[in-house]
Amino acid sequence: MFFNLIREWLRAPFVNYRLFHNFTRQDFFSQFTTSMGGVLWLFLTPVVLLVIYSFVFSYIFRMRAPAEFGEINFVIFLMIGYLPWFAFADAFGRAPNLVIEKAPLITKVMFPVQIIPITGTVIPYLTHVIGFTLFLIYLAFRGYLSVSWVMLPFIFGLQFLFTLGLVAVISALCVFLRDLQQIIALLLTVWFFLTPIIYPISLIQSETVQRLFLLNPMHSFISAYREIVLLGTVSPVHLMIIVPVSIISYVLGGWLFMRIKHAFGDVL
Amino acid sequence: MSKLPRIAVANLNKEFRIYKRPQDRLVELISRKPKHTLFKVLTDISFAVAEGKSFGIIGNNGAGKSTLLKLLVGTLQPTSGTIATHGQVAALLELGAGFHPDFTGRRNIFLNAALLGVSDENIVEMENSIIEFSGLGDFIDRPVKTYSSGMYVRLAFSIATMVQPDILVIDEALSVGDMAFQKKCVQRMNQFRADEKTMVFCSHSMFHIQELCDTAIWIHEGYIREIGDSDRVVADYEDFCNSSKSYNNIREDLPGEVESREQSDREAEVQDCRINSVSVQTLDGQDVTEVIPLSTLVLKMEVEVLVNNMEGHFGFAFMRSAEEPIASFLTTNFEGINHGPFQKGEILSITLEVEKFAMRIGEFYVLGGMADKSGLLWYESKFSKLLSIATNKGVGAIVMKSAWTVEQN
Repeated sequence: MFFNLIREWLRAPFVNYRLFHNFTRQDFFSQFTTSMGGVLWLFLTPVVLLVIYSFVFSYIFRMRAPAEFGEINFVIFLMIGYLPWFAFADAFGRAPNLVIEKAPLITKVMFPVQIIPITGTVIPYLTHVIGFTLFLIYLAFRGYLSVSWVMLPFIFGLQFLFTLGLVAVISALCVFLRDLQQIIALLLTVWFFLTPIIYPISLIQSETVQRLFLLNPMHSFISAYREIVLLGTVSPVHLMIIVPVSIISYVLGGWLFMRIKHAFGDVL
Repeated sequence: MSKLPRIAVANLNKEFRIYKRPQDRLVELISRKPKHTLFKVLTDISFAVAEGKSFGIIGNNGAGKSTLLKLLVGTLQPTSGTIATHGQVAALLELGAGFHPDFTGRRNIFLNAALLGVSDENIVEMENSIIEFSGLGDFIDRPVKTYSSGMYVRLAFSIATMVQPDILVIDEALSVGDMAFQKKCVQRMNQFRADEKTMVFCSHSMFHIQELCDTAIWIHEGYIREIGDSDRVVADYEDFCNSSKSYNNIREDLPGEVESREQSDREAEVQDCRINSVSVQTLDGQDVTEVIPLSTLVLKMEVEVLVNNMEGHFGFAFMRSAEEPIASFLTTNFEGINHGPFQKGEILSITLEVEKFAMRIGEFYVLGGMADKSGLLWYESKFSKLLSIATNKGVGAIVMKSAWTVEQN
């Protein structure tokens, strides 16, 4: 039973490729069809963010990137962490509404519902991978390119699986507990500030507190990106966290979703 | 082809848990103390639909029809019991459920067909016939949100039927769309039957159920009230619907129970005759239990006179029950009929011929009655056996004798 559900979950996007493909295309492009700017927003948003963060952190706060990363602009340091976080936050923040939004469909049409959290995670990642890639191309021209960059897609993929597991759980639970919507919005803000994105972890004085941050997998993801991009290496401790955590999140999240998806019809 | 039934439903029950407050659901999970009230929607439903058959579901609003369809399609899980379906199921529970309003009709064909489990390659082949069948023309390339509800339905129906599923489940699809499209739908569904596909169909249109379904199920308050031949079930359901209407206005001039009950105290002293029997026969004297519409009925009543010089009128009425008349216009209260006086000990045979019996559905009794000389006081009456009307084609409560002419000039 357990393994059957997990197998079904793992195979979902492949077995139902057509549906997955159509859903993703539909929801991806529906972000733009009704807006005038269309796909332009995809590029405009990261650029505007880059400008505003430069202004606030470099000009007002006069923040400096930690010395171990060498002489770099703080904004580059910030954006390497912020762009992947953006993908995570977007998926995580939309998760509560994913299944609820599709209520008319779920109650009227029989289809593999597990496609919904997958599509719901793929779309923000697809959207933000564009900005992240553009930024990396810029850095490559600045001379940061190294062999270890081949690990970036791998880490990004793990972050996707980690997110997908959480999205599956949240989207399913929100059907039964609508309050989760508020909790998730709040949690996302708390999580953002507890992840060293707009500040370097080295700013924290206490060694113990620094070690506590390892409980936050997003910290490990973001540190891994920074180390790979700027230093060309990655600390094993971060890899040792993100690999198992991502896989566990993906499998358990999917399992939970598959377990309770049958009850959706009764509640929606 | 397998000989298994396409759909087999056994002892199906469905209950909904009603929670007063949403958080009760969580409280119940944690404390394990029941916080819900059960709402039973379907009780012990069993049926099977063979390949190539179509199956109708009828019943009042809230009887559980839609829930049953959702269970069949699989968007709801049964509380207990089993549902087995063999083959691909396509459902039209809500027309255009999968449509995205911002996309064009053409784009939505692909989305919707993907939901129904068709590959894009096959849809490309079907695309043109879907567009043609829907009759949308240039609208196909406009966003679906600009469609009228009729156009919406036409597109949805076109897609769902073009997909050629093994089992098609339709909820009230035909009630929308203009007449021309309804006609096309019926043709398409008949084609479906001809292709040995299985269809489950829920409608308030008794005509469509009769025309399109072999068997039908009548669900009443979650139970199977009747299952069987669709003509029969539809007729009984219509009869049931008619009888639940109020007959209060007619009751005043009814020669039945009310008056006879009012008279019952006096009856002992007034009784001057007794109705020995009331029967219904055909013209050649056979007793009738099942009436064929438009046939001729002979109503007979045998009256024993108990006093001398009795005078009075006789009457017949068709009754739905002891209190509800269907028709009560047949009395001898006019000139030229023997009103007596009759003498004690005489046995009177009263016969009334009814031609072209016009009721089409239902069950009824014949009430024979006896009134006093004024024709106002009905003091003696007797019911016949329960008679039912033979199953027949058509919709509605009555039939009439008719003749066709089609002339080609």
